[in-house]
Amino acid sequence: MQERTLSSQIFLSGIETGQVREFRIPLQELNFNEASVERGMGYENGSLPDFYREKITEIITRSAEVADIRAGYRILPPEQFLLEKEQVSCCRQTFQTGKIIARQLKNSRTVALFASTAGAVFDKWSKELFNEGDFPGGYVVDCVGSEIVESAADWLEQRLIEQLASQNLKITNRFSPGYCGWDVFEQHKLFSLLPPEFLGIRLTESALMVPVKSVSGFIGVGENVKRLSYPCAICDMKNCFRRRQEKRHQ
Amino acid sequence: MNEIFEKIATCIERGKVNETSPYPPDMKGQPGAVELTKQALDNGAKPQQILTHGFMIGMRRIGDKFGNGQAFIPDLMIAAKAMTASSELLKPYFSSGEIQHKGSFIIGTVAGDLHDIGKNIVKMILEGAGWKVIDLGTDVTTEKYLQAIAQNPKAPVGMSALLTTTMLNMEKSVKEIKSKHPDVRIIIGGAPVTDDYRKKIGADAYFQSPHGLPAYLENLL
Repeated sequence: MQERTLSSQIFLSGIETGQVREFRIPLQELNFNEASVERGMGYENGSLPDFYREKITEIITRSAEVADIRAGYRILPPEQFLLEKEQVSCCRQTFQTGKIIARQLKNSRTVALFASTAGAVFDKWSKELFNEGDFPGGYVVDCVGSEIVESAADWLEQRLIEQLASQNLKITNRFSPGYCGWDVFEQHKLFSLLPPEFLGIRLTESALMVPVKSVSGFIGVGENVKRLSYPCAICDMKNCFRRRQEKRHQ
Repeated sequence: MNEIFEKIATCIERGKVNETSPYPPDMKGQPGAVELTKQALDNGAKPQQILTHGFMIGMRRIGDKFGNGQAFIPDLMIAAKAMTASSELLKPYFSSGEIQHKGSFIIGTVAGDLHDIGKNIVKMILEGAGWKVIDLGTDVTTEKYLQAIAQNPKAPVGMSALLTTTMLNMEKSVKEIKSKHPDVRIIIGGAPVTDDYRKKIGADAYFQSPHGLPAYLENLL
């Protein structure tokens, strides 16, 4: 894993803030395997046809060589942080996160803005296979890319937990624009507080992240914050694919 | 002849592409959809019959299973691969006019959106149901939809969006198309889209899952 610190470190109220940290993560460091891709594709453990299992193994092996997995965060200054009923303000930006997320950030002293990406290769690779008529291959590449980017965000959370533990600080779950009533268009505000093309991610006018296999959002930081084991329970998005997956595996 | 059509349908439903393909394991070493299609043509079967009684039946079965939660996207993908590989043998008959598509269907992911898996699934299901699908790709502007409509008058249009922000572009495209071509049917879909949203923007139909779309389109014929 390679780490890069992009700005000078500032200590405020015991929390290191203002600092942007970027990591390049080898695939082997992620808590990610064939079984997690299988679950992401909708199958119970062991029920995926062998054909697909072989394809997943082949694509994960190749991903270890070609994926450009990156993750990073910036902890916002706590003295500027204001959490209200339906919104969060900091650094001259107000995020209309909605009630659900604001409630989950309760007791946060600040938030860490985060992003992770599996790199541009997955967009191109999947498209190429679809165009060649290898639909199963194209779909598996898409699913592997999704699992990698989520695992990279999990990896980053773990890193934050370890970093903040010495200061008796904990973190909430991660929350992203587009979920739980938070308008995806607010990606623009979020990325305005990060360096340009952070981790190589750019935003389209419609707030879509490119590479597509990227995630971003907030993680609450504080001494008395809560972390849920099943965050989908708090969201009101009925048709979300994550919820459908969770239901299927319950 | 019916027996070979049924075998083709089964190969497509189960994703048995050709003899060398190892999947599904219980059909290993057996002829796949490609060999059976060739055999049917060699035996004098009409290409249209192969399409109607073989390909379409197989794709309908897997589409229904998908709609009922008995099959997943990967099952659809492998079935579509079997169908696409076998369709290569029927291409000359489409070109000569010996096989007729049910009609043309224009499809694209709306402007600002680059997601295409959902769109591709709809495309596969419609091709399997005998439609000619004009795939405009992703990030499709209203202009691009209008050009495709000009080239394929009366073809229904399918629009997909995966983000709440790009849903707004869907509204713009639907309104502009309807103002110029009120008779063109527009069908919408995608994770954030609902039937209420369809009503609001003036589209004609919304499908949460694609398996009901072929029947809807056939009613328009």
